[in-house]
Amino acid sequence: MSPDSPVVGPARASGRTGRLALGAVVTAIYVFLLAPVAIIVFSSFNPTEANTFPPTGFSLRWYAKFFESAGFVNAFRFSLWLAIVAAVVATAIGFLTAYGLVRAGRRGQGVVQSLAMLPMMVPHLLISISLLLALLVVPVPDLAALVIGHVVICLPFAIACIVASLEGIDAQLELAALTLGASRLRALWEVVIPLVAPGLLSALLFTFMVSFGDVYIALFLSGPGRTTLPIEIFAYMQWESTPVVAAITSMQILLIIALGLVIERLVGLRKIMRV
Amino acid sequence: MEASGRYGRLLLTPIAVIYLVALVAPISFFLVMSVFRYSALDLWIPTVTGENFARLLGESYHRAIIARTLKIALLTSVGCLALGYPLAWYLARTTSAWRGVLMFLVIAPLMTGVIVRTYGWIVLLGSEGTVNSVLRGLGLIDRPLKILHTEAAVLIALVHILLPYMVFPLFAALAGQDPDLERAAHTLGAGRARTFLEVTLPLSRPGILMGSALVFTLTAGAVVTPALMGGKDVQMLGQTIYELTMSTLNWPLASAVAFLLVLCQLTILLVYFRVGRRRVA
Amino acid sequence: MAKTILELQGVVKRYGATLGVGPVDVDVREGEFLTLLGPSGCGKTTTLHIVAGLLSPDEGRVMLGARDITRLDPQHRDMGVVFQNYALFPHKTVLDNVAFGLRMRGTPRAEIGGRVRRMLDLVGLPGVEARLPGQLSGGQRQRVALARALVIEPTVLLLDEPLSNLDAVLRKRMRLDLRELQQRLGIATIFVTHDQDEAFEMSDRVVLLNGGRVEQVGTPEELYDDPATRFAAEFIGETNLIEGVVAATTGATIAVDTVAGGRYDAFAPGRSLRSGDPVYVMIRPERIDLVSERPSGAVALPATVVKRVFAGDIVTFELRTDHGLLLHCSKPSLAEYRALAPGAAVWAIVRDCRALPRDGAAGA
Repeated sequence: MSPDSPVVGPARASGRTGRLALGAVVTAIYVFLLAPVAIIVFSSFNPTEANTFPPTGFSLRWYAKFFESAGFVNAFRFSLWLAIVAAVVATAIGFLTAYGLVRAGRRGQGVVQSLAMLPMMVPHLLISISLLLALLVVPVPDLAALVIGHVVICLPFAIACIVASLEGIDAQLELAALTLGASRLRALWEVVIPLVAPGLLSALLFTFMVSFGDVYIALFLSGPGRTTLPIEIFAYMQWESTPVVAAITSMQILLIIALGLVIERLVGLRKIMRV
Repeated sequence: MEASGRYGRLLLTPIAVIYLVALVAPISFFLVMSVFRYSALDLWIPTVTGENFARLLGESYHRAIIARTLKIALLTSVGCLALGYPLAWYLARTTSAWRGVLMFLVIAPLMTGVIVRTYGWIVLLGSEGTVNSVLRGLGLIDRPLKILHTEAAVLIALVHILLPYMVFPLFAALAGQDPDLERAAHTLGAGRARTFLEVTLPLSRPGILMGSALVFTLTAGAVVTPALMGGKDVQMLGQTIYELTMSTLNWPLASAVAFLLVLCQLTILLVYFRVGRRRVA
Repeated sequence: MAKTILELQGVVKRYGATLGVGPVDVDVREGEFLTLLGPSGCGKTTTLHIVAGLLSPDEGRVMLGARDITRLDPQHRDMGVVFQNYALFPHKTVLDNVAFGLRMRGTPRAEIGGRVRRMLDLVGLPGVEARLPGQLSGGQRQRVALARALVIEPTVLLLDEPLSNLDAVLRKRMRLDLRELQQRLGIATIFVTHDQDEAFEMSDRVVLLNGGRVEQVGTPEELYDDPATRFAAEFIGETNLIEGVVAATTGATIAVDTVAGGRYDAFAPGRSLRSGDPVYVMIRPERIDLVSERPSGAVALPATVVKRVFAGDIVTFELRTDHGLLLHCSKPSLAEYRALAPGAAVWAIVRDCRALPRDGAAGA
């Protein structure tokens, strides 16, 4: 995994050692970043109960334990459903917002875009508690509050993805469609949507991942029959600590990798990074 | 285009509504509660009182938690910056074909969720964990080191979990720089270190500020990681809020803690951006 | 007199407190190639967008024949627009791009294919239907954009600097092709450019704009020979401008006394000037004859050659007259002119000149 291409810079004698040093540092940081994750995957195959690494053998018993446990499986299904709903809603609203931001002229676009990122600057803990409080005051079904909470924290990601995609689309394309006789809606459908589709898809996938992995919103807003997988794991981990957690998280990691590769194929992560 | 002014406002309505109703209003309401009186029966009585803040700032127990939270938040920011900057710089400047993959490797851990990664550190740092096993195997220690349930453990885990949040804004700032700037500096005689200090670093300041602010926010509001890595020995404000809300049911006090948290955050943000704006015109 | 297809009446567009363009009163005639010419920021693209319906004017009307289309949205205006960057739909093939307008109009599917192919032949791009815009060269994309705008048989064709992004050689060729195509189809066209050569080569008439205002409207000859203002004289071709004051007016001729000394007999067609009016005497560089010996009869100025530049087909000179006036002169690249070196003494004969109004008090 060691990067082998030269970093852009002047060709000097000190350049070589500088580059090697940087390469070493960067590699070390990557090891730091990924080691825990790798360890989880390996220890999920541990035949014994202890959280040791390297694993003493190979066993799939913890994976089996996951599928046997009704609590975990139900939580998994609920998380899945919740993530899909949150992703779709956040992407839809995110599209409207992004389109409004990018196409509605230069006045205050920067400010409005920063405001759209608001949930990222507020501790999710605070968002969650506040929604819980709101539930006591306003008669809204608990499930709705959970969905709304997830939509709120997902929106900044959706908007970032879609804005990145929209900005790459020539504004004159819609004008051209209009002069050729298309209505605004038709122009949107024929020209904008096909071109922003990768952005929409990556928004869906990103928001899915954010919702699926969320802990804080669900911490206060889940309840009996409405537990997400991370909360289920968290609760489990307070009392026991067996590799079944490792098994679950390994499967989650696999899911993430798969989804991430799809995003990279579609849009290229570089574009989204320009938040 | 012409009519976009009208359309623009219409398109931004859904998000404005959601943010107002589900974000701004509830949070404001919650924060207001910090001046209400606690009641074991009604959860809160709407009479204005300063007793919650008095408790927070008066009792040494709470003061210690506040101090610890601030300390860890700042240290985490620094740690993330120290590790994140080289990473972001490398990603922004490299021409390797692996760039996309390398960037994905930075986000991927982020997307697995807090629990997953915290668990990984438990496995690593636990008394039966990897680090201890290795040290014992090498014969360097007899009994397992107590790494978990210390501030250090919380710090390490937090730096690890929040590192991507520092890398993104830094990357954006560094990647957005015109490469000709560095080349111009070189042709004018500046060495690599000089160029970095005088050109690259100052221009990446917005990225540093954004990343630090983000990391600080996330650390201050953390519950899961401190709880799992630090347990009862390392209490931070996030856990305090959680306990006050769910166990003790003292919502006004919880609100006061949250208020303090937000205040600290805003102050840090203000300091950061004031410092930032003065230098980079 | 040809029929007027399109008319702008008193059109004004403001951006906040700044004037975008206006008031503009221009008519476009049947089959005409009209160019909006001017430096960047002069309002030519704004005007075009108003005609297309992409912008609404703050004042004035846009008339298509007898219809007032000022508030009509672009969807219904039946105009073909070619944008500066072509705006080809990157995700659609050339065929789908060109067919787009036909589809919007509900043209039967069976008909579309044939019409698209015929149009592509017409613009010189047979056989590219299945390709995507990304696979075409700049020149090819330009032609596709043109085909797309023309296939719908619009009443007016609008072109927003369509040749700016082409390299010089291609650009020259496209000018001819475009003009030929337009004449063949006989479609009224409005063309926007900042390139004066281009405007002259292609247009029937030119509207010269500056800072949002219309400086002059006329044929290329009219603009060149009789510019109405100082800006027009300087923007179009090279010129000499000499400050002076009207001494007398006799019929068509205006006698002007210049500050540098010397009296010129100038023309000022279409302008009413009276004694005492401050004016410029405008002399085009090729309207100055150069001889080595003092001519008999004609009014001649003794001068010295200061600079000489050989530009291939012409030779340009900078001359200083004996009473200190600096003149630019250009002559065909013939032996007798090539022989004049800096320092040579010549006699300059002004063949004809114009008098242009000059603003403000007489100054040095």
